[in-house]
Amino acid sequence: MHRRYIIALTLALIAAGCSQQSSQTSSSTSTSASSAATSAAATSGTTSNAAGGTVIKIGVDLPVSGADASIGVPTQYGAQLAVKQANEKHLVPGFTFEADVLDDAVNGVHDPAQGAKNIQSFGADPAVLGVVGPFNSNVARAEIPLSNSLQLALISPSNTNPTLTKGPDAVAMRKDHPDQIAYFRVCTTDDIQGPAGAAYEYTKLHVKNAYVVDDNETYGKGVADQWEGAFKKLGGTSLGHDHITKGQQDFHALLTRIANTHPDIVFFGGNSSTGGGLIRKQMPDAGLGSVIYAGADGISDNQFLQDAGSTADNVYVTVASVNAAKLPAAAQFLKDYQAEYNQPVGPYSANAYTAAMVMIRAIGEAVKANGGKAPTREQVLAQLRMTKDFPSVIGTFSFDANGDTTNRIISIYEAVKGKWVFVTQQNFAGSP
Amino acid sequence: MDARVRLPLGLGEVAVWQALGLLAIVALFALYPVIDRNIGHVSAVADAGYFLLLVFGLNIVVGFAGLLDLGYAAFFAIGAYTYAMVASTQFNLHLNFWPMLIGSACVAALFGVILGFPTLRLRGDYLAIVTLGFGEIVPQVFLNLDKYTGGPNGISNVDQPVFFGHAFGFNPVPYYYLYLVVALISLVLLNNLRRSRLGRAWMAIREDELAATHMGVNPVTTKLLAFAMGASFAGLAGCIYAAKLTLISPDEFNFSVSVTILSAIVLGGMGSLLGAFIGGLLLALLNFMVLPQVTNWTHALGTALHNEAIQNADLHYIIYGLILVLVMLFRPEGLISNASRRAELHHGQPATSAAAAGVE
Amino acid sequence: MAIFLQQLINGIAQGGMYALIALGYTMVYGIVELINFAHGDVFTLGSFLCIAILALLGVSASGQIIAGWQGALIALLVVVLAALLCGVIGVLIERFAYRRLRNAPRLAPLITAIGVSFLLQGVMRNWKGPSEISFPQFLPNPTFAFGGVHIDLRELLVVIVSILMMVALQFFIYNTKLGKAMRASAQDRDAASLMGINVNTTIAWTFFIGSALAGVAGFISGMYFGTTMFTNGYQAGLKAFTAAVLGGIGNIAGAMLGGFLIGIVEAMTAQYISDQWTNVVVFSILVLILVLRPSGLLGEQLPEKV
Repeated sequence: MHRRYIIALTLALIAAGCSQQSSQTSSSTSTSASSAATSAAATSGTTSNAAGGTVIKIGVDLPVSGADASIGVPTQYGAQLAVKQANEKHLVPGFTFEADVLDDAVNGVHDPAQGAKNIQSFGADPAVLGVVGPFNSNVARAEIPLSNSLQLALISPSNTNPTLTKGPDAVAMRKDHPDQIAYFRVCTTDDIQGPAGAAYEYTKLHVKNAYVVDDNETYGKGVADQWEGAFKKLGGTSLGHDHITKGQQDFHALLTRIANTHPDIVFFGGNSSTGGGLIRKQMPDAGLGSVIYAGADGISDNQFLQDAGSTADNVYVTVASVNAAKLPAAAQFLKDYQAEYNQPVGPYSANAYTAAMVMIRAIGEAVKANGGKAPTREQVLAQLRMTKDFPSVIGTFSFDANGDTTNRIISIYEAVKGKWVFVTQQNFAGSP
Repeated sequence: MDARVRLPLGLGEVAVWQALGLLAIVALFALYPVIDRNIGHVSAVADAGYFLLLVFGLNIVVGFAGLLDLGYAAFFAIGAYTYAMVASTQFNLHLNFWPMLIGSACVAALFGVILGFPTLRLRGDYLAIVTLGFGEIVPQVFLNLDKYTGGPNGISNVDQPVFFGHAFGFNPVPYYYLYLVVALISLVLLNNLRRSRLGRAWMAIREDELAATHMGVNPVTTKLLAFAMGASFAGLAGCIYAAKLTLISPDEFNFSVSVTILSAIVLGGMGSLLGAFIGGLLLALLNFMVLPQVTNWTHALGTALHNEAIQNADLHYIIYGLILVLVMLFRPEGLISNASRRAELHHGQPATSAAAAGVE
Repeated sequence: MAIFLQQLINGIAQGGMYALIALGYTMVYGIVELINFAHGDVFTLGSFLCIAILALLGVSASGQIIAGWQGALIALLVVVLAALLCGVIGVLIERFAYRRLRNAPRLAPLITAIGVSFLLQGVMRNWKGPSEISFPQFLPNPTFAFGGVHIDLRELLVVIVSILMMVALQFFIYNTKLGKAMRASAQDRDAASLMGINVNTTIAWTFFIGSALAGVAGFISGMYFGTTMFTNGYQAGLKAFTAAVLGGIGNIAGAMLGGFLIGIVEAMTAQYISDQWTNVVVFSILVLILVLRPSGLLGEQLPEKV
């Protein structure tokens, strides 16, 4: 009996799992039945609901479990807040928005395969007209070709890796099928951020000899290479460039090697979660306590301050965004966020809020152009490409030909005695 | 109900209802993309395919031959990188997918032999640690050799298969059928293999290597074949995985992948083909459907209770840990087991209790 | 030369931690032939417990320094408490997860051990969150410099404590009744049982001592790095196990030697090759040693297992 019982149980569980999923997206079976093929899923099959008209879903794909949750969840809240406010203010009359959140972390770590799967799921639900996400650049690499083929708009709040929009794959795509690109982002890229940091540190802090370390991940290595290249171009010297290992805790040997080259600055490309704070903390042990430490937005969080403790001083970071506190529009957002979630914003909450808002605006325009009817994904994409001078909580911006934001403001922060202090911000609007 | 039929392909003789049940299950799987037109679901179920192939492969090594391999994900990585390197813009090679399906399997099998050869004389747990070390080394090497492997970025724009002029593209349905066909062929193959001379030699080695050797089993070729065949499944899975995702990066092949696959085998029943199948399905379900839901539930519960600890709770590790511990303690033969394996695992306990536990 | 010596110090300091963890692996393996995969996580749990005990004592990660005898007293209290707690946890793990499987095939307890490792990680993950957490470095840290080489108190602490522990353990094993019972059980469990040794108690004590040492290592590591994280035990444990194998598993002096050697190899790889290759080098050593000389460096000189 045993074996039969188990098999039956398994099949029942599978059935339950499937039906559970399909109940979430029950509208899909009726409308997309004619086309299992990927590109045809964007029919305007939206469901009505009694309260506020037709429901349009905005997919949210972020890592919201495991080690990434501490940064992923506040980002998700940003997007959800935008959806909530859009409904309250009836930004698109006749339509109600719904945020459909899927986690792209598996076993607690962001996972490109899971991200791709999520995009497939969104693609299968005709009510989903656009997606906010992903958070991580390597997840984006898996999702971009898919969202292009589905013609499903994908707006990332946080991908800064330039190759996503300017790499050989993206360039080839843009040449052959410019109308198929569905990827946008509201933060600027590391080829702006890295050089901006290098320029500030070289000219303002008068450092000439740098040692570069990165965490050997897509983002970290990318921004470190950009910084190093710009620093050398300015006339600085790179004394060495090392990659650390995932999960490494002891940096004494690496720091001893670095100390032996006598740098004025150590640049770290990576995140707080991949060693940014730990390296700073161990620098004094190797006699590097008074050397300037610099990084990019990956270490611009409170986790860094906590990890570095008393060594969170004389540290400079760039953030690929405006200082939200300086904009009146952002002040309202910060207040609303605090009221809604009873916690301060995360580093990417405002970006996710903006990403969702720009999506909602594009959908609204598409509805208008479509005579008040629910638009297709292609129509939403067309509106997104035309986004011009969109006023948002992170500043007014347009999308350029690559889908990147024209809002190329880089803020510089300094850690002073365990606190982040705003130093300056620069607009790189004219840069390529 | 004692009418029996003889199944083709060496599947043996079963009762009529079993044959019909089997047919129904196969038909259900074959018709699934037609029944569920949601390509998101089809994609998720298709991804369970690579997972199942990995489970089948590791089941040869761990289940049939009793060699504990804790670094199995390394072969998955080798298979995926093999295909990605020769079928992408990385070296501007664009070899055809179909021969490379076999090619990736062969390359992985070769590495299986390379790893297996020096470890032949190691005892069970030493072998486990060597394979664990191997599993740590391989992704790190792929990460560090960035000139050839794209480093942390991995390799993107991997070519998708084309089947007689029909491009697979990003449509998960053809991948689903590809996995289904490969999995069915594997099942038939493995079922025959298990009862072949080689299969019996594996089990003999597993139960008592010394005795098996004295009975004329050559432990060297037997073990090497287990490693090679086990690895070839991972190579196969890696190749399809890379083609479906069009991207691979080194952090997708870490220890947790190896442990997840091992958990599936432990749960289903080591050495049992049906067990591997069911364990694989259950774990795929757990991983891809249940755990994300659990996270949502705890999150919603925490939000409702304004309790940040519950809101940020993460039960992945605890659920995995409990499965491994509880299954090993209370049902070490797994959900599905055969009599010989049961006897082996309940060794040292009164025979009656072992028999009682396994009454069907 | 100065740089070489400095890296030697770095390596020995890190190696001391590996050595302390390796002692636990080696003792347990010696007596029940089980790779206690959860041991690395007991080590991390030790760090977590220290943070909790320090918080109870009112010491937080604010950077306050407690000098003199008060600091020493707090350190002693914390390390003893953490060691005791870890020891008890080790005994519980053995009792509930391993004992039932003592006569099962080798794979069964090893898989259970992996399960326990995940469980412990899950508990720590939900206790203190998924990120790095701060460990209060409350002791003063004077640096001693000579000839271009410097060593600070924390590094000295690691080395002195680990060597002290090894000497004490060696003395305990060879000069106490319980130690003799351990050696006897390691050689032949059935025979030891016939000679009136309570094997279950002896094994429980082995787990207690090994886990307590991991607790000590947890304190030392926390003091040295100033942070810890719930996943740290995996790699630390793997490297400590490598150390135990390198030295000859079951051999206490070997575990010590192996720990220091692995630490030094890591430091030298970071200096003379590149930091990104340290894991590849260390795990290659593991594979090569197991394949070429499974008895380890000191394995044959002391055939007697603990």
